[in-house]
Amino acid sequence: MLVALLSSQYTRFATLAEAWLAMGATAFGVYQEDRPLVYWPAGHRLAKPSTVAPIKHNESELGDLRVAGLSGLVFEQRLRADADMISYILQLEDELQMMTADLVTSQDQQLALYRLTQTMRDHVTVAETLATVLSEAMRMVKAHSGYALFVPASAQEPLLVQQPPDALPPELAWRLYWQAQASEREISLGEHESELAAIGAVNLLHMPIRVRGTVMAGIGMVNRSGGFHAPDIKLTRAIANQASAQIERMLLYQEMFDQAKLRTEMDLARRVQLDLLPHTLPSVPGLDIRAKSQPAYQVGGDFYDFIVQPGRPFIFSIGDVTGKGLSAALLMTMTRTAIHSKAQFMPYPTPEAVMRQSNEDLYADFTRVGVFATAFVGQYEPGSTTLMYANAGHAPVVYRPYDGEAILLRADSTAIGILPVSHCRNQRLRLGPNDLLIAATDGFTDVRDADDEILGIDKFVELVESLHDLSATEIVARLFEETDHFGQGRPQDDDQTLVVIKGAAS
Amino acid sequence: MEMKTRLTGAIQVVEIAGRFDTSTVPPVAAWLEQVTVVPGAQVIVNLSGTTFVDSAALATLVQALKRCQNVKGDMYLCGMRRPVYMIFELTRLDKVFNIFVDEDHALKAFTN
Repeated sequence: MLVALLSSQYTRFATLAEAWLAMGATAFGVYQEDRPLVYWPAGHRLAKPSTVAPIKHNESELGDLRVAGLSGLVFEQRLRADADMISYILQLEDELQMMTADLVTSQDQQLALYRLTQTMRDHVTVAETLATVLSEAMRMVKAHSGYALFVPASAQEPLLVQQPPDALPPELAWRLYWQAQASEREISLGEHESELAAIGAVNLLHMPIRVRGTVMAGIGMVNRSGGFHAPDIKLTRAIANQASAQIERMLLYQEMFDQAKLRTEMDLARRVQLDLLPHTLPSVPGLDIRAKSQPAYQVGGDFYDFIVQPGRPFIFSIGDVTGKGLSAALLMTMTRTAIHSKAQFMPYPTPEAVMRQSNEDLYADFTRVGVFATAFVGQYEPGSTTLMYANAGHAPVVYRPYDGEAILLRADSTAIGILPVSHCRNQRLRLGPNDLLIAATDGFTDVRDADDEILGIDKFVELVESLHDLSATEIVARLFEETDHFGQGRPQDDDQTLVVIKGAAS
Repeated sequence: MEMKTRLTGAIQVVEIAGRFDTSTVPPVAAWLEQVTVVPGAQVIVNLSGTTFVDSAALATLVQALKRCQNVKGDMYLCGMRRPVYMIFELTRLDKVFNIFVDEDHALKAFTN
């Protein structure tokens, strides 16, 4: 160290020597462990120095300055001052070296983090990202094994990646994850921890990873020779921050992907739903029939259907399958088809029989997928004044006799798919001139205003009461208008489907 | 919507406050899915704070009830407000579920 300083600052030492010689000294030299490193004038070995001052570094003596031919307190003080100055320069040199070394290390780490970001660009799943972060972190921190964990906010399975695959018992990794999640701080375990000793590990550092403001992931470094000190913790934290940004990017990508998928699915579901509904309205003597369906953005499972065949009664249905999207559209098709085929092919169909058999057909499948379908089936002999119907959990259905008030028709059994046997019964009501029957889906009663209040069943019944004088066509238009007005044009969550049947004026 | 779950003896209880509909169903459905697969599961859904149920909520409850019955357990509902009870009546789901006035009565029905 002293030698290095002498060679880099030789001229300055020479100047110092000249000054001493000018003051009357016969010789000046720098010694280390009693051996001369350099001396002036050349040839004078300073065998008997008159004054000596030590050069210290970190409390220990590195060497000394020697002068011959001058003695006394003044010269001793002067030489000590020179030696102290050299000691101080050595200390500064030392600090500079350490700073340089730190700088080089941090530059290496920066480069490694940059490489980490670059490699993760090609990843499309969180699991891949975790695996890469883990192996890079182990390389940079010099840990022998490690693990990374992630708990998605949605109902997906939590992830645990380990390197090697059985680095740690999963229970321990998860316990550390939840502990760090609660404290939002890293956890450092040393040799004395019995948990580590039990698995033959000597040290462990667990670093929580914040994703979107909360701790959703973590990374653990196991067995680093020399233990985990401040710089290692700092580096692991930097890696955790890098991983956090990467996981956030990945989640955003997945969400965009899911959104696009959902949009495609909804478009398809909307097409299925609209294409399968009757395109023309039936002409039944004695009745004025109108119907309309308006799918919501997240298409539900609404349907309506008319079965008109010469020599057979006119049968219609309206219903709603729980759920949204393509699955609801598919189940809607099944329900509509089940009802349609019974109504079309049974020798003597009645709403009760159609409903019972449809329930039998669909119960097992519906139970398996956890859905049900509400349905209302009506049957009318052309020219008569009676409607026979069965209602499997469907609401709202409102009847407004020409000479009475609008009333809600309660269901006579639960929806299709809830109980193995349907308890539907045929019910009858008068459907003569100006008697009105309105069967709608809950998209009408559940419509929400700006304050998030729903329209409700009572208001829907009142609405029907206020519109009963109008023609079926006008009633359909007004019901859509009024509910849209109530919802203040806001997009609604559910489909709106409506069948309006009015006894034709004789 | 706010949901609170607790264990009273061996009976799993969930309290649902506010609007119970398509947008708030997922956490309730996830919880019900976990507790209703245990053999002999006894579950109480306390709806005293529920202001509204839609068909998605009803489907979730029906599904949970069926799962409970599959494992020889049962699920009771309790504390329904008038508008919510009306939905159950209208759709005849009041015939499918055991509905109690409050949680105490539902608990007693399980323990007796």
